[in-house]
Amino acid sequence: MKRVVQLLLAFWFCLILIERAYSQIPPDNPIRMAYLQNDIHHLPLWVALEKGFFNEQGIKVEIAGIFRSGPELMSAFSAGALDMAYVGEAPAVTAVANGTANVAILAQVNTEGSAIVIGKNSSITTISGLKGVQIAVPGFSTVQDLLLRKAVPQPSAASDGVKVIVMKPPEMIGALRTNQIDAFIAWEPYPAQSVSMGVGKILASSAEIWKNHPCCVLVVDRSFSKANAEKVERIMRAHNKSIDFIRAKPEQAIQVAIKYTGMDEQTISRAMRNVEYVSNVNIEGLKEYVKFLTGFGYIKLNNLQSFMEKIVY
Amino acid sequence: MGRYLPLLLLICLWQLLCSLGFFPSYVLPSPIEIINAFQALLTIGMPPGHLLYNHVLYSLYRVGLGFSLACVLGIPLGLLMGWFPQFYRLFSPIIELVRPIPPLAWIPIAIVWLGIGIRSAVFIIFLGAFFPVLLNTASGVLSINPILVDAAKTLNATQKDIFFKVLVPGSLPSIFVGMRIGMGVAWMTLVAAEFTGVKEGYGLGFMIMTARDIQRPDEILAGMCIIGMIGFTIDWLLRRWESSIKPWE
Repeated sequence: MKRVVQLLLAFWFCLILIERAYSQIPPDNPIRMAYLQNDIHHLPLWVALEKGFFNEQGIKVEIAGIFRSGPELMSAFSAGALDMAYVGEAPAVTAVANGTANVAILAQVNTEGSAIVIGKNSSITTISGLKGVQIAVPGFSTVQDLLLRKAVPQPSAASDGVKVIVMKPPEMIGALRTNQIDAFIAWEPYPAQSVSMGVGKILASSAEIWKNHPCCVLVVDRSFSKANAEKVERIMRAHNKSIDFIRAKPEQAIQVAIKYTGMDEQTISRAMRNVEYVSNVNIEGLKEYVKFLTGFGYIKLNNLQSFMEKIVY
Repeated sequence: MGRYLPLLLLICLWQLLCSLGFFPSYVLPSPIEIINAFQALLTIGMPPGHLLYNHVLYSLYRVGLGFSLACVLGIPLGLLMGWFPQFYRLFSPIIELVRPIPPLAWIPIAIVWLGIGIRSAVFIIFLGAFFPVLLNTASGVLSINPILVDAAKTLNATQKDIFFKVLVPGSLPSIFVGMRIGMGVAWMTLVAAEFTGVKEGYGLGFMIMTARDIQRPDEILAGMCIIGMIGFTIDWLLRRWESSIKPWE
């Protein structure tokens, strides 16, 4: 027994020595980046990776996580597993306001780019016709959750209210096809895919609900940015170059999107028509998100202005 | 009281460590934060407007249905499998093939077969509870001392008498073990099954996932504590019921 204890202590001591040795090596660690699975809004990241824009800036980027929703991604920031990410503005704001992540918004990624989809045989023709229907959202406190509440101000349990169910976007199309749900709201390319598959039709794009609404943003962990300000600047240059590339060479951008989503060209082309890629942060839109989230009781803020200073890089 | 002392000391230590800043609250909320979160779940709800008592009722309803179905099917089948070797040989390969598949792996196909809502949730819970109930029941029958059966036959007991007066009482301890294990698995399965596709908007698993979406780790942990307490209470009730119907113990 004594020998076992001695061996365990020696092993533990060796582990500590190894850890200390590695921590002394000045690392040139790649930036740990994340994005949302199949989210066409994050095309600028994919373009930057494929076209070598990060390499041009002398930056190594490693994809540390591909997530199915924004809140999941923000949990990874809480765990210290990410340095930067492409993510929805709503989950980023929620995480910062509720103190679970300390990130700042570096740049906008896109505006618009979501849609409400109904069954292809549905008789509903306007948003006001969404009474008593079961509609799926990717999660509470997502951009799509806010868009739905903006479109249908009183989703409720009343008999003619909209009944909200949380599902991941890949599951929404199957649920719509089998009439488990009457509609869904999701980011592109899932609305476009539902049309391509002959399952659904677009009731309203998010632009019709809220013109030029901000959607996804590029965020950075604050402690990472303090220690790596130069790298952060280079990432932003690569990001801006990606956005310019998508605008100038949409056909090549489509091919990149096909590679990262596995979807067909028709679906991707249709999806990209609904997305506006921009890099300047929409401050007024961000404030509106904050007010929404506060109104729904998801977050509580003492001072909007100080929060804005905290969350914008 | 003494048996709860280690738990109380652990909670005090936890609070002390959190108060001293060893753990940021988003990593490990303190006991006081969790109590405040519990109050918020009672009065405000998660998501806001969906109060805790409704989440509890819906979860209990789902687990009640799934567990009851598991017992209604599992106990008679277990008794038959234990008593009739041909039943055992017939069903055993199917059971051993299906049993290792985790109930959660059934979720995607259950939703396709049964839709989103109570039926798929009950099916998943049923799968979780069924096998412990079945196998412990069969094991209970197989472990009955053959001398008791021979003694009953000597006293001219019919097959029906042997079944109801020897087998069933003799298997009760194992049946209850199976039910307690099955209920535990059912409860765990329920919460995970409620992570996605909850139509009614209520359920403890759904509540926890929403708390995650809204980045409220205090409410996540409060929800986990509630789940643990309910599971403990259900198990206590099962043990009390077992004691009441086995006076010979």
